[in-house]
Amino acid sequence: MAVSWLQRLAARASVPVFPVRGMHGEEVLYRLALTPGVELVDSPRHASILLVAGGVPPDQYGALRRVHDQLPAPFATLWYRSQPLDELASATRIDDPDVLSGALKAMHHELMCGKRGSSPRLLPDEPPNPWEGLGDDGHGGEGMMGGVPYGRPMAMNMHDDIRDGLTLDSLTVTLGPFLPMLPPGLSVEVTLQGDLIQTWTTRDPPYPIALESVFFQALQGPVPIAELERAMARYHLKHLYFALRLAGLEALALTALRLAFESHSNPKRVATLRRRLVRSGFFGLTTTGQGRLDEETARRVGGVAARAAGLEEDWRSEDEGYRQLGFRPLTQRQGDTGARWRQTLAEVEQSLQLAAQAEQDATHTRHSDGVETPRGTWHRQWPEDQSTLLDDLLPGLEWDEALSTLASLDLVPLSPWSLEEASGAPVAQAIAEERRA
Amino acid sequence: MELLTLFFIVLIAAGLGLLIQWLPMRHQPMPTYPQRAPFLGGGLPETHAWNRYHTRYYPMTILLIAFEMEMMFMYPWAVVFVEQGMKAVMEMGMFLAILSVGIVYGWREGVFKWQ
Repeated sequence: MAVSWLQRLAARASVPVFPVRGMHGEEVLYRLALTPGVELVDSPRHASILLVAGGVPPDQYGALRRVHDQLPAPFATLWYRSQPLDELASATRIDDPDVLSGALKAMHHELMCGKRGSSPRLLPDEPPNPWEGLGDDGHGGEGMMGGVPYGRPMAMNMHDDIRDGLTLDSLTVTLGPFLPMLPPGLSVEVTLQGDLIQTWTTRDPPYPIALESVFFQALQGPVPIAELERAMARYHLKHLYFALRLAGLEALALTALRLAFESHSNPKRVATLRRRLVRSGFFGLTTTGQGRLDEETARRVGGVAARAAGLEEDWRSEDEGYRQLGFRPLTQRQGDTGARWRQTLAEVEQSLQLAAQAEQDATHTRHSDGVETPRGTWHRQWPEDQSTLLDDLLPGLEWDEALSTLASLDLVPLSPWSLEEASGAPVAQAIAEERRA
Repeated sequence: MELLTLFFIVLIAAGLGLLIQWLPMRHQPMPTYPQRAPFLGGGLPETHAWNRYHTRYYPMTILLIAFEMEMMFMYPWAVVFVEQGMKAVMEMGMFLAILSVGIVYGWREGVFKWQ
């Protein structure tokens, strides 16, 4: 088949990839975000390649099939450290992160030049809810609003409005587990009245997140504080990247990510990032006091959320090594979304300063019965999933406020495997299987 | 003759418009039903998306129309006021009374409250 000039142009463009974030697939996506020639898009409609990064539990295969079939043809799938679905057994699987971007580019080129066929559709091409054809207007029932067109009930005025008494039709949808604006794996049922969240019910918790191995080593013996603090700063900067991308500040998001991957970031560069965030209006998105946690909830969540609410809860205060460096926990007072981001940036700066200081003196931790992780204190038990608190926190907020609140809260459970262990394909699959069980 | 020319211009314009839309679509099959479904990250909608959505600037629009209509009527009224005298004052009074109902409604809806 002759290749038209349009196809050749399309083949040269950057590769639009829709990532399905599976278990422990985040790390490779950070690398791809910084790879020139690869564009991570937020909707399957804009993608030509579906990248499944990390293991997906079998009970979410149905959702994965739905996302797969939403890519416009021609498209291809690539499975990174993940077992392809049975119907796509011949799909490309890659376990080496170093060859991933090259494989994506080659795949896109072949697709656009017609050398590779499109991935097959997995779901039948039938209306999910067929047209009923009943009633005066074919709306599926009697009366103006009594029908179920296409088998789905009409959005009805079933809930009293909780904002200003202006009652609208309630729209109930299930979001996730692969929605880019939610933490990976989180699936929720949301009822909206206009842009107001009426109810928020967590269906599936987010996937556990793996920490760097230094946090695990800190529970077994002394570790260099510089290493621990740099890992802490990296985690927070990656979290900030997610929120900035959600806010549409792509360039700043990439700056935060580059800072995370620099081996020795300067605290001054974090201060510059903070100034740029202020100028971009990022803090303006979060100044209305939404998403405030009360003391008990903040204590339960722990970590940045607790300290942003004024609680001086930090295991580092207990450690002699940290005391030697003059460590004192930073806190905010408001406990809302804005306070959490101010706290995050302050802690990143503090971590980098501590790392520089500890490196000079070669300071190590002294206690090994607990460790302060970016998710909170890990002492006797690791921080667990807290996503169900969203069910009480988010109703009453408008959609944009709810998403900025959600992005500022780190509620994911910690994985029992370290990042280095969990990146191994067999372990990622084992975690998926364990979750299924 | 002019009407015929106009008819042909409309015909050619519509034909070209349709042709431009049809050409890139001629080899494209219709997207499948799963592809046309709303993207919810793997989730499904439980109710239909045909829902009524309130335009929240509606009370503010009422207020704008109330004040704007008032001024639109007041300019010509001011021209004939000297000639008509008391009759014009009565007419304007009635007009303002009707308009003020809209303003009172807007007040009740909180349009004067800065949020």
